[in-house]
Amino acid sequence: MNELQNILEESVSRLFAERVDRAFLARCEDGEWPAELWSLASEQGLTHVLASEAAGGMNAGWAEAFIVVRACGRYAVPLPVPEQLLALWLVERAGISAPSGLIALLPTVVDAAATGHYTLDVPRVPWGRAAQFFVGVTSDQQIALFDTQHASVTPAQNLAREPRDTVHLHAASPVALGACAVNPHAIRWLGALLRAGQIAGAAAACLELSVKYTSDRVQFGRPLSQFQAIQNHLAEIAGAMASVDTMARAAFLALDARGLASLGDDSASFEIAAAKCRASDAVELLTRLSHQVHGAIGFTYEYDLQFLTRRLWSWRAEFGTSGEWGEHLGRAATAIGGDGLWAQVTR
Amino acid sequence: MLNLESLRFPRYELPASLDALRQEVRAFLDTALTRYSPLVRSNTWDGFDPDFSRELGARGWLGMSLPKTYGGHGRSALERYVIVEETLAAGAPVGFHWIADRQSGPVVARYGTQAQKEKIIPGIAAGEICFCIGMSEPNSGSDLASVRTRADRVADGWLVNGTKIWTTNAHRADYMIALLRTDSSADSKHRGLSQFLIDLKATPGITARPIKDLAGRGHFNEVSFQDARLPADALLGQEGEGWKQVIAELAFERSGPERYLSCFVLLSRLVDALGPQASPAALAKVGAEVAWAVTLRNMSLSVAGMLNEGRDPGLQASVVKDLGCQFEQRLPGLAQELVGLEPMLADNGNDYQQVLGNLMLLAPSFSLRGGTLEILRGIIARGLGVR
Ligand SMILES: Cc1cc2nc3c(=O)[nH]c(=O)nc-3n(C[C@H](O)[C@H](O)[C@H](O)COP(=O)(O)OP(=O)(O)OC[C@H]3O[C@@H](n4cnc5c(N)ncnc54)[C@H](O)[C@@H]3O)c2cc1C
Repeated sequence: MNELQNILEESVSRLFAERVDRAFLARCEDGEWPAELWSLASEQGLTHVLASEAAGGMNAGWAEAFIVVRACGRYAVPLPVPEQLLALWLVERAGISAPSGLIALLPTVVDAAATGHYTLDVPRVPWGRAAQFFVGVTSDQQIALFDTQHASVTPAQNLAREPRDTVHLHAASPVALGACAVNPHAIRWLGALLRAGQIAGAAAACLELSVKYTSDRVQFGRPLSQFQAIQNHLAEIAGAMASVDTMARAAFLALDARGLASLGDDSASFEIAAAKCRASDAVELLTRLSHQVHGAIGFTYEYDLQFLTRRLWSWRAEFGTSGEWGEHLGRAATAIGGDGLWAQVTR
Repeated sequence: MLNLESLRFPRYELPASLDALRQEVRAFLDTALTRYSPLVRSNTWDGFDPDFSRELGARGWLGMSLPKTYGGHGRSALERYVIVEETLAAGAPVGFHWIADRQSGPVVARYGTQAQKEKIIPGIAAGEICFCIGMSEPNSGSDLASVRTRADRVADGWLVNGTKIWTTNAHRADYMIALLRTDSSADSKHRGLSQFLIDLKATPGITARPIKDLAGRGHFNEVSFQDARLPADALLGQEGEGWKQVIAELAFERSGPERYLSCFVLLSRLVDALGPQASPAALAKVGAEVAWAVTLRNMSLSVAGMLNEGRDPGLQASVVKDLGCQFEQRLPGLAQELVGLEPMLADNGNDYQQVLGNLMLLAPSFSLRGGTLEILRGIIARGLGVR
């Protein structure tokens, strides 16, 4: 890691480690909007990692975004920091000057009716209720920004009680519309990338908790971590975590190299598909074994593990399951053919 | 306290200057491998063809990172990495030179005397000498430090007695690097061990008895030493330092891309057998393994990068081997299930069935050789700070 990355990693970890604890998470789950942490995260530039200097950002790349996104997973940060940094990046790609305020991602393709207005219901919008703006991609390669004037929100949640609202646009007109080389499903690919990074972070936290708990807890006169069966579980959690982390980072870096236009093509965006497929796939083992080594305490709301595992169960499905992304990879691989597969793997 | 950094696999990009080498190797393999059937190509590091090894040697692709002064090529470990992954992924028969190039050469280069290096390294680089590894014994498997085969000092050298087992290629190798007990009075089993460089063709008293594997294939052996006399200069490295040296040797053995690439040929054939028209469910399943292949490539490359920078990625290498052997052991079952064909022996069925049959019969060994899965998990647990 270079110096900027080290500083970023350190400052983002410090901020979240200090602020995000059990009581805080519980309040957010009960519906509180953590305004203070949101402004701290913005002031520190975490939401603006990818934004240009002109747009008040760090002008860094996806390698740096990975550090922020992974930290959001590791500390179960109950804020749309990953979504916001992506939204700001998207609008800038389309030459739209970024408004200030929370921009929620519309995960499905948005298209205008014949009248030119947008009337749609978009389900599972992360933090739709807290948004001042919404960003979506149209099927004719435009990025559309809406404000809340002609929008309403029906609240909904995922298993971790993170807001996943339905946003209704009622004959809305975009406040800005910009054309750029973008696949209509770009937000699905990018969302998958974000969730892979967050899963990597939450996996690391599951491993940390599991190692710590089994080292502290004594049964039969010794710490649980000295039993070979437990060590075996820990080694498996570590392997799953390391595989998710490595592939997620590779996918973030690949996006730096290939850019927005590569999204949506099975072979050009191979790394993203591989990262989300691997990450979603790993969730089963990560959650099962982390809970197993914790015994009953891990099954309570009083202990931190559930903040991670409930997120993992939701993030596994959000923006595509391992099956969906596996299908993209299978399609890419069979189209390339067996003899070309190795070149694709090593490209 | 767990240090997550010790489990990170930093992103490593091979220098662009290696692209030309990679293209050259691919072009060579494209033609050189046409003479082998798909079945033979599924043997990868068990495939054995001295002619092929000599061809690689003639191109300067063996002993690549061994010192030039002794007949190696003095190139970087990364260049060797490129050759190794390309040959494995293509299913080249690398067995003749495999052990020599991977571990025996580097061990001789690190611990050998001037004379040993001059004698051995040129032959390794030429692809002309075959090595075997004399570690395991009938009563010493995972517990390697308990080996009992002894080397006793005599007037003009050493006298060796005992039995090694599972020794791959001992019946056709030129040399063995053996771990032998030189001091049975030592206070711990890890002391009193030494490594020896044994010339198998020139030493009377050594008998290799092939042991058939489960499929009837002959690659490993029981090797008995009956008053085998070794010259004084057969000692490799320091007397009594055998355990430390063997750990270093195992690090070479445990860190390479072969830990996930012994079945790559099967994945390629599976992808072709399915084709783009396969059912979404089948595509998703093969896709999940493709995701593993890319993931493991990134992890393996990261380990190579760390080694190249002089770091010690022992923990990460064990993780790659653990995940890699699980990947390889899943593939035969999946390749059967998705295509719905029976695995078959050489003269039966079609190419796909033969490749499948061959790997199904090889797969159990993936989590045994070079240290079992359970032993690796123990190493990982130690890295996590719980052991
Ligand atoms: C194809 C093949 C080629 C080989 N080639 C060579 C070679 O060239 N040279 C050479 O020296 N050796 C070679 N070996 C031997 C290999 O290194 C050993 O098989 C391996 O080290 C395991 O030893 P073992 O077979 O005696 O099993 P054991 O050690 O008896 O183990 C049997 C089972 O018990 C488990 N076990 C053992 N100890 C523990 C423990 N402490 N905790 C939990 N579980 C444990 C093992 O993991 C394994 O599952 C080869 C093996 C194979 C299969």
